[in-house]
Amino acid sequence: MAFPTNPIYKLYTSTFDGVVTEMILKESNNIRINIPKDEANTDYQEYLEWVAEGNTAEEAD
Amino acid sequence: MSTLKVDGIRSNSATSDAITLASNGTCTANITNNLSNRNKIINGSMICSQRGSSLAYTGSTNAYLIDRFKFLNAHDGASTVSQSSTSPDGFSNSLKVDVTTADTSLAVSQFSNLGHRIEAQNLQDLGYGTSGAKTITVSFYVRSNKTGNYVFNIQQADNSYKQVSQTYTINSADTWERKTFSFAGDTSGVINNDNGSGLELYWWLAAGTIYTSGSSRSTYTTYANGDAAAGQAVNLFDSTSNEWYITGVQLEVNSSGVATDFEHRSFGQELALCQRYYAMIAEGQNSIIGQAWTTGSNFYSSIDLPVVMRATPTMEVSNWTNAFRAYGPSGGINVSTLALNSESRNNRVLVNQVGNPGAGATLRVYDADSGVYGKLAFTAEI
Repeated sequence: MAFPTNPIYKLYTSTFDGVVTEMILKESNNIRINIPKDEANTDYQEYLEWVAEGNTAEEAD
Repeated sequence: MSTLKVDGIRSNSATSDAITLASNGTCTANITNNLSNRNKIINGSMICSQRGSSLAYTGSTNAYLIDRFKFLNAHDGASTVSQSSTSPDGFSNSLKVDVTTADTSLAVSQFSNLGHRIEAQNLQDLGYGTSGAKTITVSFYVRSNKTGNYVFNIQQADNSYKQVSQTYTINSADTWERKTFSFAGDTSGVINNDNGSGLELYWWLAAGTIYTSGSSRSTYTTYANGDAAAGQAVNLFDSTSNEWYITGVQLEVNSSGVATDFEHRSFGQELALCQRYYAMIAEGQNSIIGQAWTTGSNFYSSIDLPVVMRATPTMEVSNWTNAFRAYGPSGGINVSTLALNSESRNNRVLVNQVGNPGAGATLRVYDADSGVYGKLAFTAEI
């Protein structure tokens, strides 16, 4: 999967034993950043600010 | 046996009692050393640096190197932050900022500072927002070849970044100096009892005029850009010869105006406190991540984090060909990265990837990229 550079975020979902978890991906300097949807998480706060500026993340595969 | 009956004990040269004795048989002592758990700063002695020993900052970089201390390089210069062994007596480490590309003329909005955020629920004893709000005393050891006036600034995230500041002077080049400031408690600004940011401490190293055009505030005042670094005369980044060191950072409830001795904690204690905000699980060739098993076309690995983290953590994981390997009875398979699957109570996570190493496999760091081996870390910084 080619990682997007613009938008810089990509959504993804994972499933384990029927439980679906949604998260957000970002990549920087060969490091993949997996961001959970927790409003106390500062990476998620930054993502929400980016969305509030009118941006949209790439949809999950 | 005899009894000494006095109401107080005071130095000949002091203006207040060191020990005050009450009529109910108790006493209050103004002790300046050896009190435990008084330092609100985590890793104030800069001994934990899980992310590495140095990090280059260019342009508008905003990142952690030494645990709990975040450096902002928002100007046209560049710098390297490192964990240094240059330190005052009684310390083993400091945080060093070394200017590698100068910016001799800051634009009005350019700046650089070092920040430390304290979790709000760890500050409830300060009593902010009540009539009994307590005075805090901040102290640190600082050193630079660049003498002159710098600004130390505290902001309250829960109160629209209401702030206080103090200017301090580095008087002698290349000499450790201990600086101490006291700030009266804020009777009107409640620090929420939660896992968010309580107090944010900033050591300014350079500031454009947007941040210096106001007035230095000695009591908590509504945030204004111009007040934040008012009094900052030094631009540390005006020469590649410049460097700045800090260690022994302490914030304590203390109204005496005299900082107590720095409270040293063991490396294990300090690391455990840091891991609430950042935990390096595996790093370097063959570092073990954990056991793995296969279900369908995916393998999974459950990882116990060292401590319960502040919030649901972000996973930082290397991503290049063969960065990781799962080896089991069915042979080994190599994967380029791992995906975060789910988490529970901020201390246990499940990662997965496509592949089938069979049952009972072990997941580890494998191939390097440009000589650097992979890592898996979790972050819940404030």
